[in-house]
Amino acid sequence: MSKLKIKNLHVNVGDKEILKGIDLEIHSGEIHAIMGPNGNGKSTLLSAIMGHPKYSITEGSITLDDQDVLSMSVDERSRAGIFLGMQYPQEIPGVTNSDFLKSALNARLEKPLSVFQFIKKLDKNIEELQMNENLAHRYLNEGFSGGEKKRNEILQMKLLQPQFALLDEIDSGLDVDALRIVAEAINSMRSDDFSCVMVSHYERLFELVQPTHVHVLIQGKIVTTGGYDLIEKIDQEGYDWLKELGVVLEEEQDQQPIILGSCARKVVE
Amino acid sequence: MIKITVDSSGIVLSQSDERINILDQTIQFVQSIEETVYVDVQLKEHESLKLSYVFESNTTCRLVERKTLNTQSVFHKDITVLDGAHIKMFLENLTKQSENVECIENVSIKKDASMSVGYAELEEANYKGEYLYTLDGEGASAKVRMAALSNNDMRKNYKVSIEHCAKYTSGQMDNYGVVKNNGKLYIDGIGTIQRGYSGSSSHQTNKIIVFDEGCIAQANPYLFIDEYDVKASHAAAVGRMDDEHLYYLQSRGLTKHQSMQLITYGYLMPVVEVVEDEDLKQHFEDVLLKAGA
Repeated sequence: MSKLKIKNLHVNVGDKEILKGIDLEIHSGEIHAIMGPNGNGKSTLLSAIMGHPKYSITEGSITLDDQDVLSMSVDERSRAGIFLGMQYPQEIPGVTNSDFLKSALNARLEKPLSVFQFIKKLDKNIEELQMNENLAHRYLNEGFSGGEKKRNEILQMKLLQPQFALLDEIDSGLDVDALRIVAEAINSMRSDDFSCVMVSHYERLFELVQPTHVHVLIQGKIVTTGGYDLIEKIDQEGYDWLKELGVVLEEEQDQQPIILGSCARKVVE
Repeated sequence: MIKITVDSSGIVLSQSDERINILDQTIQFVQSIEETVYVDVQLKEHESLKLSYVFESNTTCRLVERKTLNTQSVFHKDITVLDGAHIKMFLENLTKQSENVECIENVSIKKDASMSVGYAELEEANYKGEYLYTLDGEGASAKVRMAALSNNDMRKNYKVSIEHCAKYTSGQMDNYGVVKNNGKLYIDGIGTIQRGYSGSSSHQTNKIIVFDEGCIAQANPYLFIDEYDVKASHAAAVGRMDDEHLYYLQSRGLTKHQSMQLITYGYLMPVVEVVEDEDLKQHFEDVLLKAGA
């Protein structure tokens, strides 16, 4: 049993404070969902756990069992068992997917995998995720569609077998079938040694991968925590009802003016 | 395997072969050769050497040249590709830990002949290279790609030039560089089309990626065009490595060093594509994989 513990975490980007004291404990076996309106710090939280250089931690701690995560480099965090499935995976020209995946796998093994072992493992996972067979020979994420990139993130998760997976809007860009495949893949990882933190805006993902804990993050703080019923409530009612709990929702700053004579369209971000 | 060794005492062919003549300082390829020919060039400190390659008309050959030069040594090379010959070459520079090394190559490509060349310039040395191609006959073409790495305080200067001295000639060069750990890299790419040589095309790309502060990188493209009916283009870019790329690779457990090596490999990789030959390609890829390790 492992525990990822986040205590009073404050995170800045430049001079702006994004996270204002997050407390969260994730035990192996648990699946946590983090919800909240855009721009309130969900992705920041996941990126700060992984160690993105853009985010500076001004206060608080993150520990993985007894290890101080904040003192580790990004690659050390990965080898310690933390994985971040990114919202916008990078495209890296010239580096083939298979070279990259092999290096990533071998980075955590004492004895490198043989080419045969690696290909066998890769092929099996590519098949399970119903991905294109050419994938191994293509350059890392280059020219991948949004959905392919997300599936590639899941492929990496399955190969690397992390203890703690952080999935940042892993469902965006996926069609219904792809979402089902990705959800199955996450569910197949579920065990007493695995836990997951998912950020998403949509109930659909959480329907397929039912979380054990649900948190709502607003203005850099977790304002409420509950079970699956919280997701249903948000799906039906949005976030406005949180005002009753004393939560101040930031007013939309740049409301789109509606010009007479044209259709008032709903702006989807 | 056909192997030729060259040093200041002369040229030695591993076993006599009717397709190759050795004359004094010249290696003459008189017939097409199927298998890859390997040439090893060794120069000691303060030595200077002149070597000529002559590819006879209508021959096709592929060649891997590996040169190890030394401090204060100078290597002059003349390559003549006669009418209708088609030559593929992979030139690997293995010069290490040396000062003031110079290599000057003059390549003359005759009528309807072609040469496609890949340079691997990945070792650590203070080095100056001038690779000068002349398209001397109608329909001649040269395709040159270079992968250069300057690491650990090394200084490397390159001048790559393709001069068009006949009609309907085509020249293309792509020079890729990576600079890290206070290295310095200067690449001048020069394309020249003289007056009257219409129907020619001269294209070049020079790209350098810089990994850290304290490095110096210059990519200078020149086009000297004195004729209207031609196609010409150039591109040059010097940029920093993308920190997001590094972060992404590290987030999968690769150390910073491993990540940078993979990015270097990826960046220089397009150079391999010029080599249409599978053997040479593999050789080039193996060399690149070790780059900056």
